[in-house]
Amino acid sequence: MEEEAKGKGVSRRDFLKGLGGGAIGTAVISTGLLDPGKVEAYPTESIGTSRGKSAVNLKVNGKAYRLEVEHRETLAEALRDQLGFTGTKIGCDRGECGACTVVINGRNIYSCSQLAVWMQGKEILTIEGLAKGDKLDPLQEAFIEHDGPQCGFCTSGQIMSGKALLLRNARPTEEQVRRALSGNLCRCGNYNREVAAVLAAASKVR
Amino acid sequence: MAQKEFSVVGKKIPRIDGYERVTGQAQYTGDYQLPGMLYARVLRSPYPHAKIISIDTSKAEKLPGVKAVIHHQNAQVPWASGGHTHKRYIFNNPVRYVGDSVAAVAATDRHIAEDALALIEVKYEKISHVLDAKEALKPDAPKISPDGNLSVGKGSFSAPITEEWGDLEKGFKEADRTFEDTYISKHVNNAQIERRVSVAKWEGAKLTVWASTQGVSNARTDIAKDLDLPLSKVRVICKYMGGGFGNKNQAQDYDLMAAVLAKVTGQPVKLEFTREDDFIGMHGRWASEQHYKIGVKKDGTITAVDLDAVTNVGAYRKQSGNLSGTDFYQIPNFKKVVKPVHTNTVVGANYRAPAYPQSVFGFASFLDQIAHELGVNPLDMFMRNRVRLYKSKTPFTSNFLEECIVEGAKKIGWNEKWHKAGATPGAKKHGIGMALGGYPFRPGLGAATIRVNPDGSAHVLVGVTDIGTGAKSTMAIIAAEALGIPLNRIQLTNGDTDVTPFCIGESGSRATSFTGPAVIAAAEDVRRLIFNVAAPQLKAKAEDLDLKDGNVFVKSDPTQRLPLGRAVARSGELIGRATTNPVFKGVEGKSFAAHFAEVEVDTWTGHVKITRYVAAHDSGTILNRLPAESQIMGGVMQGIGMALTEELLIDRPTAIPLNPSYRDAKVPTHLESPEVEVIFIEHSDPYGPFGGKVIGEPPITPAVATVANAIFNATGRRFKELPITPDKILRAVRV
Repeated sequence: MEEEAKGKGVSRRDFLKGLGGGAIGTAVISTGLLDPGKVEAYPTESIGTSRGKSAVNLKVNGKAYRLEVEHRETLAEALRDQLGFTGTKIGCDRGECGACTVVINGRNIYSCSQLAVWMQGKEILTIEGLAKGDKLDPLQEAFIEHDGPQCGFCTSGQIMSGKALLLRNARPTEEQVRRALSGNLCRCGNYNREVAAVLAAASKVR
Repeated sequence: MAQKEFSVVGKKIPRIDGYERVTGQAQYTGDYQLPGMLYARVLRSPYPHAKIISIDTSKAEKLPGVKAVIHHQNAQVPWASGGHTHKRYIFNNPVRYVGDSVAAVAATDRHIAEDALALIEVKYEKISHVLDAKEALKPDAPKISPDGNLSVGKGSFSAPITEEWGDLEKGFKEADRTFEDTYISKHVNNAQIERRVSVAKWEGAKLTVWASTQGVSNARTDIAKDLDLPLSKVRVICKYMGGGFGNKNQAQDYDLMAAVLAKVTGQPVKLEFTREDDFIGMHGRWASEQHYKIGVKKDGTITAVDLDAVTNVGAYRKQSGNLSGTDFYQIPNFKKVVKPVHTNTVVGANYRAPAYPQSVFGFASFLDQIAHELGVNPLDMFMRNRVRLYKSKTPFTSNFLEECIVEGAKKIGWNEKWHKAGATPGAKKHGIGMALGGYPFRPGLGAATIRVNPDGSAHVLVGVTDIGTGAKSTMAIIAAEALGIPLNRIQLTNGDTDVTPFCIGESGSRATSFTGPAVIAAAEDVRRLIFNVAAPQLKAKAEDLDLKDGNVFVKSDPTQRLPLGRAVARSGELIGRATTNPVFKGVEGKSFAAHFAEVEVDTWTGHVKITRYVAAHDSGTILNRLPAESQIMGGVMQGIGMALTEELLIDRPTAIPLNPSYRDAKVPTHLESPEVEVIFIEHSDPYGPFGGKVIGEPPITPAVATVANAIFNATGRRFKELPITPDKILRAVRV
């Protein structure tokens, strides 16, 4: 709970604040988990303590960066706002939709639910790091050919989850692709296209 | 129009902006970072109905980094003042639902803006509230709108919405049997993945808004009206759009809040909604309670339909609140009264085919039930009652609904697979169901500009934003076809009111049908100019020339030709433009669909698995098959979510929405996506651009009822209230 509270992306505090200060007493009903007494005091306490900054050394798309990040800054925010990697999208900012998926040390992870300060020494791959110069990654090519993006807002996340899957399993079955991408929502409902694209990319790489 | 041979239209062409979308280069509204930009957040009401007694922003303003706090006292800006309904402000007092905007803060970063929200002290005086539409119509109900809880609007937004033809009494007299029942649909959020965001910047008296809107031109009109600015002083830009499905039409309150905050602070402002804001602060599909009385002959032929319904449009009326699911049936005697009602809940407004899927659910479920009670096969029931004439009198521009039914039924194997309801033995029960749908295809105002460069390449300027439909690609394809040059010679510029001409926006499936004809006309315009320039070079008359595959040639002797780049090399730039506004005379347009699904219902868990889905569509000529098929599959998925899982739950005593998040709203995932087989019944429509009709909205319309009817066929239990969740199924099958 302690760590969770600090992480902006997953904090219940933020959920409560989304409803506004006046909602605190009643919003508890909707989470059903917090002690109202504690919640009342929370926002004022957290201001001031959460604004410290630390330096963090990380690698993004093969390049080393040293960043000054606020402790409550998420990886998704650092990537987008500090480094300009806006291909990583934020859809929910609370670990549900997967638009912010990046690959960290080989695994697909929601970057909205990781604090930037936790990224010390980590290697991060974003959508911008997939192509080798002008040569698109087979996944990117397959997403174009198979009409993977409709509105395109979830596309980066879908591709990054596909990438992490193919890194650990070069010959996935359709069922395995669906499972691997199941944390990436697509409200355009383009799931079958995205699955077809990952399978096509896998067969190309083979 | 006879089926034409096309060079670009009708193929499977990857989107022209596919590269940008798969590399992260596509810049969506939230990706814009401007120097000195502030971040803004919105404070929302915790109460469903309350008067704001006081609002104290002093603590918030003292927080380092906070630049401005606006609220109903210092920012009385109307929202949608050009609209059809009663006046609403960006901040209202009293507040009328949990989530109504109370204040907005601009600060140097988004976290500070969020912190500041918690420091705003608002004193509310609670007013009694009402959540249910029927309760709200009672005389002693709390009064939400100054005009009463039956929403009052103008024109097509008036209330109640009534429609009548034929002779209802006669129709019921002719019936062998009369059935009466009520069907209920719930509020479902559009839940597009891109949260609402707006970036506003002033340069002197000129306002630029990077909006996440489905229509830049309408957004500009709305913003100009609400802020009392000339249209020339407002620029709206949206080049990539992360989904909206009807809840990002025109301008929204956050565009205005960003503009006001940018004005007050003198700095650019990016206002971002949180996901909770998006679920409760904007709108979802209006809920409905539909009471039908239907008269039928013994063979199932409909003789009369009487629909009496209420729809819950929430605290403010934004759109029609209508129910139109009866559109796909031939009903000789008809009466409909739909009452859009205000309640103290999230606004119910446009979501993909606004008046259809919930209404098709009610009507097609009831027809399926009547077929069951008459001992008629549902396929015969739907075939027999399919619409031939619009409102029983006007012919359609084209209508291949019958072929949709025939081909869809064949593909899914209806005759082999259909069985009596609940007839499968064992715990896992097989079911098959169908329903009819579609969406109006209307003509209207469109505009386009085409600039042909001296090297023979062309710029096509159109106002579409491309909400995921592939509209940019469609416009480029239409331009390439109409101009006679290869698709890769076209550069499309879209979504910028200072640059691109008027566009109705992508709502109501109108991009292709409104802007498409303008692109064709602009191409014809610039072709005239090209031929004038080329005529002396080819020693021919302009009217004897043609242009195809990038070559200008003499029609009677195609060997006499010039590459376009040579023909126009010394012309600087040739500009063709057109504003078109076609009308239908004595005909109505509609795209049609027949959907079929097979399900497996686990009577031990209540789980529904869709094992097969077939969607047969009459959308005229398909201009680009690849995104067209994607659109169909996507509409089906949204329908499945609405049928099986999605509903905004509201806590009765507090009126607080309980599940404003993806996880709790239960939006379908990869794991719930069945294979969807798409059939296009392709016949060129005489009125559509290159014979095409509409495609974005139709696929969601029959999907909910199709799934519901398949569940009935599996279980023998009729579910009259959405969503059909496992608990409802278990309760029904265990009795």
